Amino acid sequence: MRVLTVDDSRTMLAMLHHTLSGAGYEVLQADDGQKGLDVLKGEDVDVVITDINMPVMDGIEFIKNVRASGEYQSLPILILTTETSQEKRDLGRSAGGTGWIVKPFDPEKLISVLQRVVH
Amino acid sequence: MSDLDEFKATYFDECSELLNELEEQFVAIEEGERDADRLNAVFRAIHSVKGGAGAFGFSGLVGFAHEYESLLDFVRNGKVELTDDVVTLCIKANDLVSDFVDAARSGEELAEDYGAEEKARFVALCKGDNADDDDDEDGEPLEEFDIEFTPVLVNLEDAGNDRDGWLVEFTPHRELYSRANDPLLLLRELAEIGEIDVKVLLGDVPTLGDFEPFAVYCTWEIFVIGEDVTEEKIREVFEFVEGDCDLKISEQEAREEEADDLDDEDVPSFADLAAEIKPKETPKPAAAKTVAPEAGGEGKSATPVGVQSIRVDLDKVDRVVNMVGELVITQSMLNQQMDDNLKARYQELVRGLEVLGQTTRGLQDSVMAIRAQPVKSVFSRMPRLVRELAAKTEKKIKLEMVGENTEIDKTIIEQLSDPLTHMIRNSADHGIESIETRVENGKPEMGTIRLSADQAGGSILIIVEDDGAGVNRERVLQVARDRGVIGEEQQLTDEQIDNLIFAPGFSTADAISDISGRGVGMDVVVSNIKKMGGSVNVRSWPGKGTRMTLRLPLTLAVLDVMLVKVANCPYVIPLSVIVETIQSSRAEFERLPSGDRVLQVRGEYVQSVDLATRFDLVTDAEEENRFVVLCETEGSSKVAVIVDAIIGQQQVVIKSLEENFESIDGVAGGTILGDGSVALILDVQGLRARNNHRNAA
Repeated sequence: MRVLTVDDSRTMLAMLHHTLSGAGYEVLQADDGQKGLDVLKGEDVDVVITDINMPVMDGIEFIKNVRASGEYQSLPILILTTETSQEKRDLGRSAGGTGWIVKPFDPEKLISVLQRVVH
Repeated sequence: MSDLDEFKATYFDECSELLNELEEQFVAIEEGERDADRLNAVFRAIHSVKGGAGAFGFSGLVGFAHEYESLLDFVRNGKVELTDDVVTLCIKANDLVSDFVDAARSGEELAEDYGAEEKARFVALCKGDNADDDDDEDGEPLEEFDIEFTPVLVNLEDAGNDRDGWLVEFTPHRELYSRANDPLLLLRELAEIGEIDVKVLLGDVPTLGDFEPFAVYCTWEIFVIGEDVTEEKIREVFEFVEGDCDLKISEQEAREEEADDLDDEDVPSFADLAAEIKPKETPKPAAAKTVAPEAGGEGKSATPVGVQSIRVDLDKVDRVVNMVGELVITQSMLNQQMDDNLKARYQELVRGLEVLGQTTRGLQDSVMAIRAQPVKSVFSRMPRLVRELAAKTEKKIKLEMVGENTEIDKTIIEQLSDPLTHMIRNSADHGIESIETRVENGKPEMGTIRLSADQAGGSILIIVEDDGAGVNRERVLQVARDRGVIGEEQQLTDEQIDNLIFAPGFSTADAISDISGRGVGMDVVVSNIKKMGGSVNVRSWPGKGTRMTLRLPLTLAVLDVMLVKVANCPYVIPLSVIVETIQSSRAEFERLPSGDRVLQVRGEYVQSVDLATRFDLVTDAEEENRFVVLCETEGSSKVAVIVDAIIGQQQVVIKSLEENFESIDGVAGGTILGDGSVALILDVQGLRARNNHRNAA
C-alpha cells in the first residue's frame, strides 16, 4: 500500500512518514502540489494525503488537477487541515477531496481514517 | 534520539528557516512589495510554525501563532489593510514567534501573558474591519483548535447497553464516487464499531444501457448492534460523505428475524453488485467483526520519491569529503609512480590514470558543491540589523546587498554571522555620520552600507563598505596607545592604524557588551576567521568611507598549493597567497643591522623569512640555488619566504593540526602527500607575525 504525502512542512512530512511507515505503508513524498502531480505521473499510489497551504500549487488546485486527469478519479485523497470550519471543509470536498485529517493528527486516528478510505 | 526528539529537531530546523524567510519577506514588504505571492508565503510560514507546534503541544506558540495567522489570513484576503503600522506589528510578532520557538526549544517557560498585547491587537484588527462577518468563521476561537482531537465523550447512558441497535439508512448521491469515497469501505468501518446486518435496495439500478459505472444507484439499510455503538460513532463513519448522501440514523428494537433474512438473501446480491460496479475489488464480508489493516508488510522502508532535495547529516557529507580527499591523494600517488619508463610501456594504464584523474577532480568538485550554500542565509539577517541600528543611532542608513547567491562552504557560512554583524555594527555606529554632519559635509542624508560577496580565485571576498567618515585614526591611535596595544613610540602607516580596530585588546568592555550581546570581541571574531584560513583587512578614506574586507577560503577541506622543500622536508604554501617565485641568485637582498634580510622587489622592501632558520633546520642547499616565494598576506603586506626547492603545484587535503597535535605559529595544518609523507601547510601571515615578535624582542 503506497501513500503519497504532500506537504511543504518537513516536520509534517517526517511525522507522516514515521506514522505511516510504522504501520507498514510505503510512503512517497512531495513538498508542493505540482511535485505531487509529478509523482503521480510516474508512480502507482493507493492514497494521497495532502496539505492545503503550499507554495507553487496549493492543495485545492492539486486535488482538482488529480480529479481532472480521469485516471485518478477513484484515488482517495485526504486533506490535512487545521481548519475546522465547515466552509473550509466544503471547499476541499468540492475540489474532490475524499476526507480530511485535522492537524495536529493523532497517529492512531490517522491510520484509522486512512483505512476508512482505502481498500 | 527518540522519534519525538528527532521530529522536534526537524521542526526547530524548519522553524529557523521559516523565520529567516519571514525576515526576508518583511524586508521586501517594508519596501512596498506587497504582492499576493509574498503575503501568501508569509501566511504559509506562520501556518507551518503553528502546525508543528500543535503536534508537539507547544500551546503558547500555537495560541500566539494562531491569532497571528488569522490576521495574516485577513491581510492576504484584503480584509485588513496592510498599513505601515500593521507591518511593524507583524515584524514585532515575528520576533515574538521566534521567542516562543526558542522557549519551546530550550524548554523554558515564558510568562503566561507573553505576547498578549500583540495577540489582542491581532484580534482587534480582525474584528475591527470585519464587524459584520459571522463570528465563528474567522474569529475561530482557539479552544476549538485545541480540542480537535480530544476523544469524543461517550455518554454511558446512551452507550447502547440498554439499547437494541441502530438502523442506518444510507442512500448515496450519484457523485459519491467522484471524491473516491466508497460505500464498501463505509460498511467495513461500520463493521468495526459493531456487528452489522446489511440490506441493499436495488430499486434504482437502471438497465445496463443506462448504467454509469461511476454512479451509485442503491440504498443500504444497515442494522448496527454493539455494546458501545452510539449515534456519534456512526456519524463519524459517514463524516466524509455527509452532503454526498441521504443519511438517517435511528434507534431500533432488536430485529433478529429480519437480520436472518438479510443474511440469507440480500448479502450475496450486494456482493455481486459491488463486484459488478468495481470488478477489481473484493468486498469484505459485511458482517466481519474486525478488518485487518491492509497495509502491506513488505513496504517497511519507505522510499520518498518526487522530492527535489534531501536532507543529509553533515557528518555523512564530511565522511564523503574525507574519502574523496584520500582518493585524491591515492590518485596523485599513482601518478608519481609513473616514471617515463613505465609510461612508455603501459600506454593503456597511462590513459586510464588520466581518466581517473579527471573523474577524481570532478568528484571532488561535486562533493564540495554539496557543502556549498548561498551566503544569502546570512545576508538576509542584515537588513534588519541595519534598520535597528539606524533607529537606535537616529541615523538614516540604507543597506545594499550584492552577490547574495555566492556559494560558500556551509561551515564557513555558519561562522560568518558574528563577524558580519560586528562589521556592520561598526559601520553603522562609527562609520556613518549623523544626519546633521552629513548634510554639513555636503553628503546625502541617507548613509549607505554596501555588503557584497564575490568569488575571487580560490577565495571568497566579503566586503562591508560604508560612505561614512572613515576611521578616526587619531583616536584609534590614542586608544591603542592607552591600552598598550602598541608601544608609545611605534610609528604606524595609515593602513596599519585602520587595522588596529581588529587588534587583540583594542576592543573595550563597552564595545563587547555593545555587540549583539554575545560577549564576543572583535579580536575573537578575527581570530575565528583566521582559524578558518581567512583574513580581515580594513581600508579607510577620511571623509569618504571605510571598506572592510573578509577573505575566506572557498572550502575548508581542499587547498591548491605549491609544494616546496626545505632541508629535504616537504612544505606546502597555499597557491592563493603566492604572488611570484624568484630564483635566489636573481633576488636583491639587503641586510638590516639586525641581521635580518629584506628583499627588494620593484622598489619595495619586503620582509624575508628563511624557512630553514625559522624552523631550525639545517640545509645544505647552495644559497644561489634556493628560491624565494613572494607571498602577499592580507592588507597587501608581502613576505618573501625562502625555500630550498620548488617541486610543483597540486591539491592537498587539509588535516587539522589542532585536532591531532597542537596549534603551531606559522603552520595552518598538515597534509599527506601522494607518496604518503606528511607535509606542513604554511600560514604565511603567521610566519610574518612571528618574525615581528622576534624583531621586537
